[in-house]
Amino acid sequence: MSLSDHLWQFRLSQLHPLPKLIVCLIWLVAAIVVFDARFQLFTIVLAAAALVLFNRSSLWLVLGLMIPFALFGVGFLTTSILFRDGSDFAGKMAAEAPFVSEGVSAGIVLFLRAIACGMVSALFTLTTDPGDLVKALMKDWRLSPRIGYALFSALNLVPDLASEAQQIRLARAMKRGGSPRRIPGLIEGFSLMLPLLAFAIRRASRAAIAMEARGLTGQGRRTILGAPVPALRDAVFAGSALALLACMLR
Amino acid sequence: MPGALPAPDPDHVAAWRGVTVRYPHQKRDAVGPVTLELETGEHLLLLGPSGAGKSTLLDTLTGLVPHVIPAAVGGAVVALGVAAGSRSPAEWAQHIARHFQDADQTLCGMRVDDEIAFALENQGLAAETIRTRVAAAMRDVGIDEAWRGRRTTTLSGGERQLVALAATLAQASRVLLVDEPTSHLAPLAANRLHRLLMTRQPGRSVLIVDHRLDGLIAAIDRVAVLGSDGGIVAEGPPAALFRAHADRLDAAGVWRPLASHLDTALATRGVAPPQPPASIDDVMGHLAGLGHADRAMARQALTPLVTAALPRAPIAGPPDREIIVQLSAADCAPFLGPVVLRNVDLTIARGEILGILGANGAGKSTLGLSLAGLVRLKGGAREGKPGGVAFQNPENQFVSGSVREEIEAALAVRGTEAARPEAGDKVLAGWGLGHAASQHPFELSHGQKRRLALATLTAGGRWPLLVLDEPMAGLDAAAAADLALQIEALAASGHALALITHDMDLALRLCRRCVVVGEGTILADASTAKVMANPALLARAGLAPPVFKPVLDWFSEAAP
Repeated sequence: MSLSDHLWQFRLSQLHPLPKLIVCLIWLVAAIVVFDARFQLFTIVLAAAALVLFNRSSLWLVLGLMIPFALFGVGFLTTSILFRDGSDFAGKMAAEAPFVSEGVSAGIVLFLRAIACGMVSALFTLTTDPGDLVKALMKDWRLSPRIGYALFSALNLVPDLASEAQQIRLARAMKRGGSPRRIPGLIEGFSLMLPLLAFAIRRASRAAIAMEARGLTGQGRRTILGAPVPALRDAVFAGSALALLACMLR
Repeated sequence: MPGALPAPDPDHVAAWRGVTVRYPHQKRDAVGPVTLELETGEHLLLLGPSGAGKSTLLDTLTGLVPHVIPAAVGGAVVALGVAAGSRSPAEWAQHIARHFQDADQTLCGMRVDDEIAFALENQGLAAETIRTRVAAAMRDVGIDEAWRGRRTTTLSGGERQLVALAATLAQASRVLLVDEPTSHLAPLAANRLHRLLMTRQPGRSVLIVDHRLDGLIAAIDRVAVLGSDGGIVAEGPPAALFRAHADRLDAAGVWRPLASHLDTALATRGVAPPQPPASIDDVMGHLAGLGHADRAMARQALTPLVTAALPRAPIAGPPDREIIVQLSAADCAPFLGPVVLRNVDLTIARGEILGILGANGAGKSTLGLSLAGLVRLKGGAREGKPGGVAFQNPENQFVSGSVREEIEAALAVRGTEAARPEAGDKVLAGWGLGHAASQHPFELSHGQKRRLALATLTAGGRWPLLVLDEPMAGLDAAAAADLALQIEALAASGHALALITHDMDLALRLCRRCVVVGEGTILADASTAKVMANPALLARAGLAPPVFKPVLDWFSEAAP
């Protein structure tokens, strides 16, 4: 099989979660520390391309994912423009960047940094199975099973909340007499918060009872079945990613 | 870690001695005082009306009550020779496997194979042993290998119940505590599960709570019945107990197997079997051996049961009635999901109760939502006004802070605001919810939640079509009988109803017409009698004939 075939069949989800986590954490730190719009842009494009090419995520999904981080970043941008005296360090750092004024320049870097950090996080969460991550943490980093499975429940809460929200939206749409919109509006979104909070509490207590009733103690010897096993591709991935990062930082 | 357990008691593995349980802020005990023993190797069936405290009693054996669920427990609970409270629930898991009524309480939201392996991993068993046991449990329960990597939260209610049972059985524990294991399962799957649970295994004791008694009762050694006051009101071998306490059980709203109902009916004409029947086969064997005169008497005796087992409304074909909803070449998909049913042509008429039957995960609920117009079709067309849906989980449709507010919100579409409280009182009284008007909907019993869901759907008179998704699941006999009457009344008042159910006897009783869902489409759309008389179709769809069918066949043969 040729290298291009290998690359075509490669998926980020095949990687061991822990090397991937380390690489993403290092890159996140770099994105926070390096105050350079070009680096932030490169990080965003790289993460988006990796998701499209090696996770088969649709471009629309990837662009959609950027929206909340962009909204977050707009806050930084406007703050920097309106209150630029307060961001002395950022101003000095951004002075070297090729933008019109210090305030705008710093604001744009902060804006891009919010998106870059968000995309690196999205890259990890979208390509990592929570169960595999918890198993790897318990097996390789000796994480307590009690904490591991609590983390597992927390990681799974988001899709479970989405599923519950769909059920509630269906019931409410029925009472209104129609079918629900694909994406809830602002008012509908706020009205879902309380029932979803109640669901989250119920879900957490049920999961705790289920795990207790099935013998999760956190003490004694415990078998971990199906934990991810490190492979050559993990070393290749980590080496390539960190080498690329080093090149960018030179 | 706790010390080793003493040698197994030769007589019993669990004992409750004068046990009472009272939850915080409650004025009366949830259960008790109860004195009961589970003998070594015994299959004990625990019956009782909703709210009698059956699940609570099971929870005391592994210490979930009071260690995890706070409550004041009186008396003594002994498990495998030691006080139940001497170990934590997690430490009991190695010896006592617990299957909860709600599959989501047994499962932790993992992938299917991880769920089944979880308890075995906690015991520290060898990886190869775990793999073997997981594979065996999946095979025995009938879980497709393709499900292995799916998260349990993405499965249908019945599919989750199968995984929960596989996880429980894989533990191979000395004591199995099983709470309503088949309430959401299609008939073939339920029959297989009953066989699995009731297969004798050396040293394994089973305490089971179930409403689906036919097919189960023959493998039960002893029955204990909890009364509504929380104490044991009857105890003994099943056949004799059901004969001796039939009236008492009916009055308490406790399910009885069909064999017991037939026995009671035959006794009214003096033609009951000499020995109390343990199964429908025993009754049919007895009927087959009757002489001519006794056959006539038996036929008279069974006539009320046969009448009650079939639809009551007069036969009228759909062409004479107003079509309420029509699906044409419809491709049906769940909300934001892929197509699960293709090319569906279906009509439902005013006053009709249409049965929707099929295996777990076949797409019945999606068809119901499509009929109601609550999810958009991916292809084809739907004609007709929107319908209302009583969801499988009634909690999903409650949005108000009290039962009264739910009803008044439903009434808001008609009448004036001033007239609403009075109209609300009438609706509450009509559905037997008057005493619970000020309670939060989530505080109601399962049966009450179902009634409230139906009351809110019908109070406003908005929906000409009502879709009921597994309306009888988890109800006791009295609540189920009451709900069946309400469903008939709704049809008589001009509603069209689509009844999604796994209960073939319920479909036989309420529905003149059924559709069978399977293989991604509608396998059959015919009269219920025709569907029930087609064993090949039923087997193909994961269904089984109604339990009552042998009686109907005998009744026809014994006609004068």
